[in-house]
Amino acid sequence: MRGIHPLAFGLALAIIALPAASLAQTEQHDHKAVAAAGTTAEGRTPAPPDAYVYIGWPNDGETLHTRHVKVWFGTRNFGVAPAGVDKPNTGHHHLLIDAPLPPLDQEIPNDKNHLHFGAGQTETTIDLPPGTHTLQLLMGDANHIPHNPPLMSKKITIHVE
Amino acid sequence: MNKISAILVAAMIMGLGSATAGDRKPAPQGASVYIVWPRDGGVIKDGKFWIRMGLSGAGIAPAGIDKANTGHHHLLIDTDLPPLDQEIPNDKNHLHFGAGQTEARIELPPGKHTLQLLFADANHLSFDPPIMSKKITITVPQ
Repeated sequence: MRGIHPLAFGLALAIIALPAASLAQTEQHDHKAVAAAGTTAEGRTPAPPDAYVYIGWPNDGETLHTRHVKVWFGTRNFGVAPAGVDKPNTGHHHLLIDAPLPPLDQEIPNDKNHLHFGAGQTETTIDLPPGTHTLQLLMGDANHIPHNPPLMSKKITIHVE
Repeated sequence: MNKISAILVAAMIMGLGSATAGDRKPAPQGASVYIVWPRDGGVIKDGKFWIRMGLSGAGIAPAGIDKANTGHHHLLIDTDLPPLDQEIPNDKNHLHFGAGQTEARIELPPGKHTLQLLFADANHLSFDPPIMSKKITITVPQ
């Protein structure tokens, strides 16, 4: 920050914030128009019909005696690439935890129920509280938007003791 | 004159040496690869199987994509490790998965076979130290 006048910094912030604020307003007032712009079928990256993803571990219905759950991401007839890498027949994994499928024509949300693996990871270890949980993989393209057709695993249920 | 030539030659050799070593990227901290399937010592009935390639502590990127802490898998079949300061060969004993694959369909004739994974960077060069799996042995019955 050295050498930048505080006022100039404030001004820059205001400039950055301004379009975001007006965008939010647009969404509020003209929700349909914004949604239509984001849902064009052409905007989704195609995936080959034989590609699929699955959860290698844990098994569906499994009871785990640990809260540290290792999840292995299976990908067949398709490749993994970090987020931002736009290459045909690749994408990166997203793990949905205790969440329904998000809208498939939009960026996958990024929160504790929708984990992004934009560094090209093919496995993870998550901490889950005791109880019944669901896990599902959803592949996203370079821009975190599901492919067309979407590549998603079966939604599995596990029990954490 | 001889002295100068000797120095030049020495400099060239050193230059070459450092260029080779410099080309290998340091391995991401804690990264490892392992063969999820098949199991070491396993018997594969008809020699046809999907190998599943495991990677911990790093990410997959297709060949040619130069991004920190990423690389792509190579499968060594019935062969020892290739020279680690050169590009991994591309032949039937050294399969490249430069499209970012983590699984592959393999068909092997009857007999004992070894499988080993070697993870490499955007340019098919091994990391330093190399990131490789245990070399496993499988048997395809007659």
